[in-house]
Amino acid sequence: MDDKIPKKHAIYAVETHGTDDLSKPPPDGKEKKYKGLWKRKKAGRNMDDLKKEIDIDDHKLTVEELIDKYETDLVTGLTSAKAAEVLARDGPNVLTPPKGTPEIVKFLRQMISGFSLLLWAGAVLCWIAYGVQVSQVPGVPRDNLYLGVVLAGVVILTGCFAYFQEAKSTNIMASFRNMVPQQALVWRDGEKKQILASELVVGDLVEIKGGDRIPADVRFIAAQGCKVDNSSLTGESEPQSRSPELTHDNPLETKNIGFYSTTCFEGTATGLVISTGDQTIIGRIAFLASGVGDEKTPIAIEIEHFVHIVGGFACSVGVIFFVISLGMGYNIMDAIVFLIGIIVANVPEGLIATVTVSLSLTAKRMAKKNCLVKNLEAVETLGSTSIICSDKTGTLTQNRMTVAHLWFDNEIVSADTSEDQKNQSFDQSSVTWKHLSRIVALCNRAEFLAKQENVPIMKRAVMGDASETALLKFSEVIYGNVMAYREKNKKVCEIPFNSTNKFQLSIHEMDDPHDKRFLLVMKGAPERILDRCSTVMLNGKEVPLDDSFKETFQTAYMELGGMGERVLGFCHLLLPEDEFPDSYPFDIESMNFPTTNLCFAGLLSMIDPPRSTVPDAVSKCRSAGIKVIMVTGDHPITAQAIAKSVGIISEGSETVDEIARRLNIPISQVNKKDARAAVVNGMQLKDMTDSDLDEILMNHGEIVFARTSPQQKLVIVEGCQRMGAIVAVTGDGVNDSPALKKANIGIAMGIAGSDAAKNAADMILMDDNFASIVTGVEEGRLIFDNLKKAISYTLTKNIAELCPFLIYIIVSCPLPIGTITILFIDLGTDIIPSVSLAYEKGETDIMNRKPRHPKRDRLVNWQLALYSYSQIGIIQSIGAFFCYFTVLAQQGFLPTRLINIRVSWEDENDQDLEDSYGQEWTYEQRRYQESECYTAFFVSIVISQLADLIIRKTRMNSIFQQGMWRNKVLLFGLASQIIIAAFLSYCPGMYDALRFCPLRVQYWFVSSPYAILIWVYDEMRKLAIRRHPGSWWEKNMYF
Amino acid sequence: MAALKEKRTCAQRCEDFGYFVWNPDTKQLLGRTLDKWVYISLYYVAFYIVMSGLFVLALYVLLSTLSPYTPTYRDRLQSPGVVMRPNTYGDEGLLIVYEVNKPDSYTPLIHTLQNYLTPYNRTEQHAHYENEHCNGNKYFTQNEPKDPEQKLLSCPFYRSSLGKCSGMDNSTFGYPDGQPCIIIKMNRVSMDLPPLVNVYFLFFKQKGEPKNLHNIEYFPPNGTFDLHYFPYYGKIAQPSYMNPLVAVKFNSLEKNKLLKIECRVVADKISADNIHDPYEGKVEFEIEIKNGTAVNK
Repeated sequence: MDDKIPKKHAIYAVETHGTDDLSKPPPDGKEKKYKGLWKRKKAGRNMDDLKKEIDIDDHKLTVEELIDKYETDLVTGLTSAKAAEVLARDGPNVLTPPKGTPEIVKFLRQMISGFSLLLWAGAVLCWIAYGVQVSQVPGVPRDNLYLGVVLAGVVILTGCFAYFQEAKSTNIMASFRNMVPQQALVWRDGEKKQILASELVVGDLVEIKGGDRIPADVRFIAAQGCKVDNSSLTGESEPQSRSPELTHDNPLETKNIGFYSTTCFEGTATGLVISTGDQTIIGRIAFLASGVGDEKTPIAIEIEHFVHIVGGFACSVGVIFFVISLGMGYNIMDAIVFLIGIIVANVPEGLIATVTVSLSLTAKRMAKKNCLVKNLEAVETLGSTSIICSDKTGTLTQNRMTVAHLWFDNEIVSADTSEDQKNQSFDQSSVTWKHLSRIVALCNRAEFLAKQENVPIMKRAVMGDASETALLKFSEVIYGNVMAYREKNKKVCEIPFNSTNKFQLSIHEMDDPHDKRFLLVMKGAPERILDRCSTVMLNGKEVPLDDSFKETFQTAYMELGGMGERVLGFCHLLLPEDEFPDSYPFDIESMNFPTTNLCFAGLLSMIDPPRSTVPDAVSKCRSAGIKVIMVTGDHPITAQAIAKSVGIISEGSETVDEIARRLNIPISQVNKKDARAAVVNGMQLKDMTDSDLDEILMNHGEIVFARTSPQQKLVIVEGCQRMGAIVAVTGDGVNDSPALKKANIGIAMGIAGSDAAKNAADMILMDDNFASIVTGVEEGRLIFDNLKKAISYTLTKNIAELCPFLIYIIVSCPLPIGTITILFIDLGTDIIPSVSLAYEKGETDIMNRKPRHPKRDRLVNWQLALYSYSQIGIIQSIGAFFCYFTVLAQQGFLPTRLINIRVSWEDENDQDLEDSYGQEWTYEQRRYQESECYTAFFVSIVISQLADLIIRKTRMNSIFQQGMWRNKVLLFGLASQIIIAAFLSYCPGMYDALRFCPLRVQYWFVSSPYAILIWVYDEMRKLAIRRHPGSWWEKNMYF
Repeated sequence: MAALKEKRTCAQRCEDFGYFVWNPDTKQLLGRTLDKWVYISLYYVAFYIVMSGLFVLALYVLLSTLSPYTPTYRDRLQSPGVVMRPNTYGDEGLLIVYEVNKPDSYTPLIHTLQNYLTPYNRTEQHAHYENEHCNGNKYFTQNEPKDPEQKLLSCPFYRSSLGKCSGMDNSTFGYPDGQPCIIIKMNRVSMDLPPLVNVYFLFFKQKGEPKNLHNIEYFPPNGTFDLHYFPYYGKIAQPSYMNPLVAVKFNSLEKNKLLKIECRVVADKISADNIHDPYEGKVEFEIEIKNGTAVNK
């Protein structure tokens, strides 16, 4: 990813002339280097062209001229009607999508990828063989010609299929991208509105803040500390400051123009849209290249690795037997035909189709689960994640302050902090509570925005800071309509909160018509509030404040503070009517009212509570071997409290500080290894060397980084990666993008995230929920597992297809299975079952095992290949050969008679070949018999593939644990195998077309004992693996 | 997504591979230590022994269910094949071409016939039983033998019954005279009871309607296979069984012309209609007899 940025520049530049050379990936490194140079050169030239070309003069106009030009208004913005009119004229503010790789190139690429080359080789060999045969004997049967055509057809067919599947999943990905439409904050009709950036028109007044992508080309008319990142356009990597002044005649250089698709790094600005869509500078230079490049995904690497293994095996077996058959005295033609057979038998023709289907299924599934994956690569990498560095706010927590505890009448009560907060369950009968709640409701500046009566309280938008919002919603739940209540208790004067006073005060009329006194309410930092009080309200009575109360107050305050909660104290005073009559002129400057000797009512503490799904997700991560590290800018105590409540720091784990406190020894004497948990402050982190950080990461299982800056996040990610971990990082701010890019998986927040973060990330959580990451991890592991299962299923039968050729060459018996017949297994009966494995649910251990090591744990490992090829495959072959021998023996050829019979068996001029019973067979009778053998062998493989499919449902669990009937698609797959096989065998005319012939019904069952054997053997294997984890058996038999 | 994409040079790859082949640190050869190799090999040896055992056992059970005398099914051999001697093949099946004046062109044909008939000499068939069953034109049915030692009788077929085509009086089988003999055999098929087997010839001109050939001689007369050669009880039970033959002598074949001739076995239950098999229940061949004058022309 690091190297992506320079590449992007090149893309922008080169596409200026719509050149299509980007579409072809350079074949090798050298070429790439050369191309890079060339691109850069060209980029330079284009930049100059561009500068000449651009004829914008908007930057030179004064604001007034601009307003005239675009008929807009600097205060109210455009009218909706005018905007609609312009929108109709200019079209939406989007770029015409880029011309990607030409479809035909994509298509052709499918034709020569993976196994296709091997099959092409097979087809060409067929045609060569046919050509040679024809030149020798003109009337030779056209078998080889047809086989070549069939092989070529297979390549083209699977190529088409893969192509369409790819197109489909590309579309799914593209639709993901559309799910995060860019928003723009715009003034229309005098109101500030959030609209889709695509609806922006020229003349719109937009507000831009740090983290946003600039939604169109704008002329800045106001800016505060605004810096933009123009690197995508000009290549300048330093953020450029922006201001309303004209600083340069060139529009690209002047500071008062912001360009579409560049990022505002920090600060705020207001700008006037001067061009949209393809009219923008970026739009004119180039079509935006999409984020998905030609990079190889890990899953693609794994599949390539697998193709290499299987292809290498096929080629070496083919060549070995080519040589052997020549050595045994076969002529070259025969040897070539054998070679073709071996290639066809070895290549799992249907596999690539299976893989593409599985991937697009996963894409769909992820879409449903709020995980927006930019490319499928990310899903799989997520599956191998070993450390998640998560933000606290918004990801682990609900991202809103909520009243968690109250303290009044010397008692701490807890409030409901769940997401919907239907009711507050604590005892509300106390008079003290009535007073306290009145203060809470009145001493508050936050207000609900208008027109939200039907929105649930917790979801209503509020104007005000986080704590005030929390208090407002809290009292709304308790009182009902707080706004109306405030209306009745009119505010006459107020002192807002400031950091010197650390309190907030307001004075209200009271709604009681008989009580003309004013009520003074105050809230603020508890110790300051207490200082100003002389009495305290206990059980509804005002009692003098004494030292013993101060002590209980202190304990309660510490307790609430220790829970990481923000504590506020509340007090009030009824101003005596005689001193403060109705018309008393309250003045906040002179403070002509008492602010001491008040009556203390109670404490409220607030916290941003964890999301209810998070603790479960964290424990899932833990059992999945994934370390969850919290990285937050928040206070260590708050961070620790949240970490404890969601389980990032598990119960009973202690930090070094806590151990020291418990044992009453200095921190330096504590053995750091005893402490599982660690809370690291950003200040400490600053002074640490890399090795210090490594030590912390190694020694502590449960780590919280508090008070960290986004830059430190990068340091933490690098530290984790030094340990060899695959790191997933969540982030939302602009400053998080380096960490998101550095991480193996960058996860941006869909709701809170800035556009910059979303661009840098590989995955976007649409609901900002940590639990969705865990779902993603599970999906990632599942797709890997299921592909493994599908591949092992597909590979197994290769042996049963290969052995016939080897036996045929060595023993010289009639050919047990034909090449065309093999294709019907690979592309006929086996396709649906192997796709159906993609629907398989995860095994029970899917989230209980260590994450995959991306280099060591391959998709296709030796265990898988050996188990499939040399164990299950062998049993299948034995079963199929048994069926073959049975058919031949019952028709007259006992196994002993078959040895070395090949030459006379295949001699078209031998019409009286004697069998074991002395019967004599014509060539055609033998040929028909051979077809029956093909069919019998085919049916046997199909039957044992049924068992193979059932055993591949799980890799470790018993089929009884997994459940036989849950995967309906798989059941359909089983049925489809039998139906297709029966159709091929019994449909009239099949003998002429494909050399299948009707089989006696009992031959369908000949290999079934071997199918049962496969199942029993595999159940035993799995049982042993479950019983003896870590044993020799597991190491060699678990794949 | 950074950390996964580190590139390795070829030298590093080679080194890695070297370590894979022999890792001196862990003493691993191809990823396993020596004793681990022994374990895994032993496991596979045991596995394959068990599997071969199962296979052999299955084959044993299969073979023990089979009758030693007759095959379980005769699905492919509903109608027996028909074979002809001499059997020289051209591009499209049987083809006999020779020139009467050139002995070189027909001696191989005569040799084929001579060799083919050698087992039918009376001296070769001394072990055969001759009894009353072999006289009449009736099926010679016998009970299946109870143990493999017991052999069934079979009727002998002597080449003398082929008369002019026996090659005993005229060892050239009429080839130099332009009146060649051919020998027709019906393939042995187990337990076959084809009632009244008759051989007759159809003459096809190269194009046009089929018409019967004239002036041909059959040996034995009428071109029939005597019924007492049937049924056939299989090689084990009837080791001395000899296929009955029918010889045909073409006395007036048109010379210097490629003739396509079909020989059909006519019997109940024998069909010659299999479109795939030109040799089932019939035999087709082409014959051309050239004489000197034609060549000289």
